[in-house]
Amino acid sequence: MLGESEQRFRAIFDEAGTGISLVDLQRAGTPIQTNRALQTMLGRSQEELGFFETYDELTASDDRETDAATFRELCEGKRDSLRQEKHFTLRDGSSVWANVIFTLLRDAAGLPRFVIAIHEDITERKRAVERLQAKQELLDLAQKSARAIAFDWYVQQGVNVWSAEQEALYGLQPGSFDGTYQGWKRLIYAPDWHVLLKAIKHAQETGEVAVEFRVQWPDGSLHWLATNGRMFFDERGRPFRMVGFTTDVTPRKLAEEELRRSEAFLAEAQRLSSIGSFSWRVATDEIKWSEHLYRIYELEAGTPLTLELVRTRVHPEDLTLYEKMVGQARTGADDFEWQYRLLMPDGTIKYLHAVAHATRDRDGGLEYIAAVQDVTERRLSEEALGNLRSELAHVSRVATLGALTASIAHEVNQPLSGIVTNASTCMRMLNADPPNLDGARETARRTIRDGHRASDVITRLRALFGKQDVVTEPVDLNEAAREVIALSLSELQRGGVILRTELAEDLPRVTGDRVQLQQVVLNLLRNASDAMSVVEDRPRQLTIRTERDDEGVRLTVQDAGVGFDPRAANRLFEAFYTTKDDGMGIGLSVSRSIIESHHGRLRATPNDGPGATFSFSLPCGNELNTKVQ
Amino acid sequence: MKITSSLVSVVDDDESVRESLPDLLREFGFEVRAFSSAEEFLTSDCVGQTSCLFLDVAMPGMSGPDLQQELTRRRQGIPIVFLTANRDEGVRARLLERGASECLFKPFSEAALLEALNAALRLS
Repeated sequence: MLGESEQRFRAIFDEAGTGISLVDLQRAGTPIQTNRALQTMLGRSQEELGFFETYDELTASDDRETDAATFRELCEGKRDSLRQEKHFTLRDGSSVWANVIFTLLRDAAGLPRFVIAIHEDITERKRAVERLQAKQELLDLAQKSARAIAFDWYVQQGVNVWSAEQEALYGLQPGSFDGTYQGWKRLIYAPDWHVLLKAIKHAQETGEVAVEFRVQWPDGSLHWLATNGRMFFDERGRPFRMVGFTTDVTPRKLAEEELRRSEAFLAEAQRLSSIGSFSWRVATDEIKWSEHLYRIYELEAGTPLTLELVRTRVHPEDLTLYEKMVGQARTGADDFEWQYRLLMPDGTIKYLHAVAHATRDRDGGLEYIAAVQDVTERRLSEEALGNLRSELAHVSRVATLGALTASIAHEVNQPLSGIVTNASTCMRMLNADPPNLDGARETARRTIRDGHRASDVITRLRALFGKQDVVTEPVDLNEAAREVIALSLSELQRGGVILRTELAEDLPRVTGDRVQLQQVVLNLLRNASDAMSVVEDRPRQLTIRTERDDEGVRLTVQDAGVGFDPRAANRLFEAFYTTKDDGMGIGLSVSRSIIESHHGRLRATPNDGPGATFSFSLPCGNELNTKVQ
Repeated sequence: MKITSSLVSVVDDDESVRESLPDLLREFGFEVRAFSSAEEFLTSDCVGQTSCLFLDVAMPGMSGPDLQQELTRRRQGIPIVFLTANRDEGVRARLLERGASECLFKPFSEAALLEALNAALRLS
């Protein structure tokens, strides 16, 4: 009977799917019997396990000390069973987790005889829990870093338990939310309620929850919340649970709103100022245009852009320039600026001015950001203004010419007089008996010299009064001033003017139109002379001076005349403003436009004493405006 | 004692006139002195000896008419023939009114010069 029972136990012991061990407490060395399942679990044979000591060495539990103590109590008969979670390390270093139930068997005398240990392999479960924990930690981390708060709402029960974080999203104190649907509805910013209703309806149909809405905090402030999640349905298709995350997206929403506003501002500013903008990634030829640039090019907004398409709009005469610019932009990485024309399909021409700034895109590639302005109107009005200006300049010259007629006659008649007189003398000397040949030769020589003088006068006058195109050349301001002085001298003398010239030596040359600059000098001299025509109580002193200054070269004309009212100083240069009875009021305005086209400045200052000082400064060696255009 | 009426003076700031006119006048047989300004003439020793003065109208500093005025003030009744390159009949009429013997517009012919010279000498 015992044998049969023994046999049955043996069979269960050997064949059981669970790892079982039997420790003999009464034999020396506490030998241990293990079954196949345990041997497989621990990866060791019966011989290798042998004694309890060897078995025990394989285990590592977090509470090894406590475990050992309770196990001793079991062995001493102080308890009948115990459960321990043990962790075995296998030969390959991997771990096996087991839930071990130890049971004490006593002998007939009631003394501890055997301990049976049943090992339940819980490695898989343990790993699953670990994985779950890791996931939970990640989730918590994600929630924290995204400031997203998870929610779990059992729709049918109507009760919604919120965490303190969830309440904080709505500006509520922890625990103050009543959890009801109506209570929740009151928290939503009323105008956005319909958005939520729509989102809930959508969720009921599709299971998808995605909505952005505003909540009004008890302090009245508005906050944007974004909710994303899923709706779950019961077996009858009714929603019963909604799970998801809610995030406070107020800063993003405000930034988006700000961005939208800036974009709207930019678009409006571009439209008002006729400026379009574009970006061009050189490596990929990815081109983006602003709406207004499409308008400038008269292409439909959103048309996919290629350099080839853009090229079709460029004026054929500017194509070479355009391709050169594109080529340079590809190789270099400098800011650049250029002007070119477009030829529209209807034949109209547009003038564009582009300024591009080189920058690096996110991948470090070369990218240009550029502003393009339609300057057609400006160009046309500049052309018109230029024409008008040259007309005015001509009128001014003619007016000056009229006033200087006497002076011209004087300048020409002086040498003519010499010629006629010399010729008469020469005739007489030749007719004498004997002829005075030496005297005749000398007078003939003077005749020739005076002839050249007359011819020089005519040349100077033609240079000064002929209507010529603008010529850019290096100009010696001293020489130019001397020529004007020579021409004006008699007129100035007639006006009783005492002229003093202080021309600086080694004056650098300026680049410009000599005739135009002389016209300005002439104009200033005439004005100075006119301003002194009524002066009787002091010398009519006029000083013309040239010198270097900070801006380059300066020419000053100082008179002792009636001066001007400082309050009218800014009107002096206006066209048709005059204080003279017979003046047209265009001299100074034309003078100023001439000086400014030379990148210079024309100034008027009252003297400390009587009279006024007019001066202009010109940069040295600068190009003329008109040449640049 | 020297015959004062033989001297003809020329006052003109223009060099070509100062060179050419005296030569022609010398061809006519006169003794001639030339001055580049009214001031130079006034400070010379020729004022009392000059029997005819050829005087430019527009000059820096003292002008021709100024000199005429100064001579009148000094009671030096020298016949004056004005010379001007500015063909302005109004100016000429005014100068004649103020006692000038003649006013010639530059350039003038030999005949006109002689006529004016003779008329002036008749006055003196």
